[in-house]
Amino acid sequence: MTLSLVLWGIAIYVVLSMAVAWASRSGAPGSMSGYFLGNRKMGGIVLALSYSATTYSAFMMVGLAGLTYRGGVGALGFEIVYFAGVTLVAIFGPRFWRVGRMHGVVTPFEMLGLRYGSKWFAVLAGLTSLVFLIPYSAVQLSGVGYLLSGMTQGQISFGTGILIATVLAILFSWIAGIRSVMWTDSLQALVMIVASVAVCGLVVAELGGFFSLFDRIVQASPAHLQVPGPGLFSFATFLGMSLPWFFFAISNPQVSQRLFMPASLAAMRRMLIIFLCFGLVYTIVSVIWGFSAFVLFPGLERPDLATATLLSSSYVPPVLGVIVMIGIMAAAISTIDSILLTLSSIFARDVYGNLTGDHDDARQLRIGKWVIPVISALAMGFAAMEFSMIAILSVASSVGLVVIVPATIGAFFWRRGTAAGAIASIAGGGAFVTVMYLTGNALMGLNAGGLGFPGACVIFVAVSLVTRPRPGQVLEGFVDDRRTSVAGRVRPA
Amino acid sequence: MSRRLSLWLVALVILSCFAVPYALIGHVAAWYGSFLFWCLAGLAIIVLNITATAGFTEEGE
Repeated sequence: MTLSLVLWGIAIYVVLSMAVAWASRSGAPGSMSGYFLGNRKMGGIVLALSYSATTYSAFMMVGLAGLTYRGGVGALGFEIVYFAGVTLVAIFGPRFWRVGRMHGVVTPFEMLGLRYGSKWFAVLAGLTSLVFLIPYSAVQLSGVGYLLSGMTQGQISFGTGILIATVLAILFSWIAGIRSVMWTDSLQALVMIVASVAVCGLVVAELGGFFSLFDRIVQASPAHLQVPGPGLFSFATFLGMSLPWFFFAISNPQVSQRLFMPASLAAMRRMLIIFLCFGLVYTIVSVIWGFSAFVLFPGLERPDLATATLLSSSYVPPVLGVIVMIGIMAAAISTIDSILLTLSSIFARDVYGNLTGDHDDARQLRIGKWVIPVISALAMGFAAMEFSMIAILSVASSVGLVVIVPATIGAFFWRRGTAAGAIASIAGGGAFVTVMYLTGNALMGLNAGGLGFPGACVIFVAVSLVTRPRPGQVLEGFVDDRRTSVAGRVRPA
Repeated sequence: MSRRLSLWLVALVILSCFAVPYALIGHVAAWYGSFLFWCLAGLAIIVLNITATAGFTEEGE
């Protein structure tokens, strides 16, 4: 693949994305809610595409394909369990949405802090998400660096790659806040899905079609179509990987914050259904991609090279290869810019606002905007270090964030949940997960993924039962005595 | 289909995503084994989400 082809691809992508970001500005979003939530007036289709681009990072096309290459069909099962977990949007979405409007909250942790009557909960949860999500963003940046340097044989350096990704992510976040992120995400989601489906169709056709592909897998390694398969997906590993991802929709603030944004519950429904259709196609395509690489290039030393090997092979025309490269880059950037925006709102609202007592909306917005490049610089610094702990932390991020889930569930479904229980579950659960990762990640045959959530639940319930709810807690809209419908209307008796 | 029933069925599908491949059909080395099962489970999740959210209205616009 020639350097000029790659540069042209990047140039076209940058120009198109910037034009879309610029066009998304509609008046100055002068408030936190305007800048970070689109004034809670976002439409279902844009929300769905943006939700897809934010959720599916570069690791879907690279990581899931690699996981399939190494572990076989179990990779599909792992991703489908995550996919099923998005149903949590159907359960928690209307509750977040209603409470967000009722109390004017901007971040998920502000909402939970309100519910439990504790600003310290919001501070701690905010800091936890910063700790786990900055390294995760760094890995996305590294992915772009490796991709660009790999596909141009080092003519674009790793450092230049992460710089390009960082600058674009800052610009997409900065130009119009969530609006520019949403619209560039939508463009990027379309590039991602079109490119991945095109490559999948092309490669499978080259292999003689769908059934021929599977025949060849059976001949090469039948275990790849079996469970637990060639060795990776023992039941304990499968459970440990899929359980934290199952809760992704409510544990990761960059997606749970989206639940405050729809213009209506109908828009939220459109977001959910379109996202699910997008996700199922994208999942199956990525798995077939991994299977195809396994059949064509069975001896790869590192499974993560499956995608790169497939793209640089004679099975994929160079132009399509560049489009896919842009698709992967877009997937990474669309994940980073959403995380940037969410983390900056969390810093301004939950950390700065609570620690200083400064609740002025305009000042928080200014601070949020200025924090965006600071967080980006931190992520870029992590990425540039090429530090092995980053990879460990990024894997740990979904596990680490799952400790927020018990307090989230309790906020809506357990009146007796207390601030002390919520704080203890995050602090204790986070410490437990970190220690597990630092000490070999194995306890009683299970890993942190399998133990982190139940551990945090036990802490939350136990500490809540021995402490009293705070007088300042807010139950209205969260846990009502009235039987309410999902939309918040009181059901007739 | 009611919202409650849809969500219970989602729970059933999720449990089956663990139980069926690991306990029943894991040995089938063909496209119509675990691969097909998990694809169909994904489709079922979409359908059940459509029925579970049928009551979501335009309220709020």
